[in-house]
Amino acid sequence: MMLDFYRRNEAIILGTLSLASIGVVWQFVVDAGIVNPFFISTPSEVFAEASIQLESGKLYKNIAASMYSFVLALGLATIVGIFLGVLAGWFRDVESILEPFIWFKYSAPTIAFYPLFVAWLGYGTPTIVAIAFLFALTPIYANTLSGIKNVDRDLVRAARSFGARPLDVFLQVALPGSVPIIVAGLRLGVGRALTGVVVAELFGASAGLGYSIAYHAQLLETSKMMVSIVVIVLLGVVLTQLLTWLEKKTDSWRVH
Amino acid sequence: MTQIEIRDLRVEYKTPKSDEAFVAIDNISLDIEQGEFITIVGASGCGKSTLLLTIAGLVNVTSGSVTINNNTVNGPGRDRAVVFQDASLLPWRSVLGNVKFGLEMQRWKDDDIGERAKRFIKMVGLEKFTDYHPHQLSGGMRQRVNIARALAVDPDVLLMDEPFGALDAQTREVMGDELMNIWERDRKTALFVTHDIDEAIFLADRVIVMGRDPGRIKEVMKIDMERPRNAAMFESDEFAKYRRRLRDHLEEDMASMHLVTEVA
Repeated sequence: MMLDFYRRNEAIILGTLSLASIGVVWQFVVDAGIVNPFFISTPSEVFAEASIQLESGKLYKNIAASMYSFVLALGLATIVGIFLGVLAGWFRDVESILEPFIWFKYSAPTIAFYPLFVAWLGYGTPTIVAIAFLFALTPIYANTLSGIKNVDRDLVRAARSFGARPLDVFLQVALPGSVPIIVAGLRLGVGRALTGVVVAELFGASAGLGYSIAYHAQLLETSKMMVSIVVIVLLGVVLTQLLTWLEKKTDSWRVH
Repeated sequence: MTQIEIRDLRVEYKTPKSDEAFVAIDNISLDIEQGEFITIVGASGCGKSTLLLTIAGLVNVTSGSVTINNNTVNGPGRDRAVVFQDASLLPWRSVLGNVKFGLEMQRWKDDDIGERAKRFIKMVGLEKFTDYHPHQLSGGMRQRVNIARALAVDPDVLLMDEPFGALDAQTREVMGDELMNIWERDRKTALFVTHDIDEAIFLADRVIVMGRDPGRIKEVMKIDMERPRNAAMFESDEFAKYRRRLRDHLEEDMASMHLVTEVA
């Protein structure tokens, strides 16, 4: 019985155990005096601090600020990325026109543009959204482009044999065939947008999880800083899992 | 009544590397009667698929002409439907969705599409699999969907490009049998490309034997065996005679291919 249960849920059980043991080791190395709590705090302190921040509404305020920027940036990146990706995938000329910019984006670290955005948009949410938008744009654009461009020629030929017009081929063959790879691009975009938000907030913001990390780091308050770090990790995991789930759902017709 | 007229047909493909065009088929003339079942055989590279796809309107004519019911072919049309190999089903659509696809593309009235698609799914014996997706079906079942999709649009001419090419020998024979049964019902004009000699003889009223360099018709062989055909015919003397004749043709082509490679 127990063994059966274990075999069926092996991955989850082992994963949970390894995660829990990190927590235990973390607590232990500090309690035993091996590592100075100044550097890593402890799980119990972080938990206590999290309760305080939760009660005062501070944690909620920071999450809300970061999520606001995140949703805005990802939403914009999704709309723009899919729109440009579809155009570039369908019209070769558009791809050629956009290509140099995509190369810049791939080769240069986006964060280098930060001071420029500050000059244009000032410190705060607009700059944070702009940076996170640029972070998330590339994978969404690139995946959409490759999905539309690499549409299955056999399917296009079959559609044409029934008299499909170019718009039919696009709507009935190219687009539905690209949905899984576009969603995979979104999943990558989620991680990138979150990174963008946090990095931009580290540099200049008045609220948000990244801001909270930078703020408490300067005051050498490790436990308070750790709360935001843990929350960001959790947010990242949950959001990425959500997209992984969506990916599997849209991908069900593919042969694995 | 002659339904398809092919006159001095030549098809060239532009090759990306050289300026010279590759001649896929040349000097092809052929009349096909309404209700005839034509099979096309030949060594690989003889242009048999090109000929079929040209009739389908998916490949452009370089010179000469193809006319169907006195209309010159210059693109796909409602009078024709093509059965491809199994990779041509939309993997995200169900069996029903795939059979509806051809009807949708041809702009049939919405009210008719669902019922009509179901009727043809039933005809190929897949009514229990209406909601399955292609990856859940066997190769033979996928080809049944492909045939149902083509027949559902009620074409005058049914074009089949090695439809059973990806199936194992046993499934292939079963599918050939079923295709005959379906075809016997309304005897639509059919063209069927294959590299399987037995299949070519079994299905055909006439077998078109093609040769290569350039792709051309070597012989048109009339198959005088009564219909409906059955598996016992494979053992008959007549069948053996046709088979020997076709094999000679194909071996000749194979031999000339080897010669070319040796000289080169």
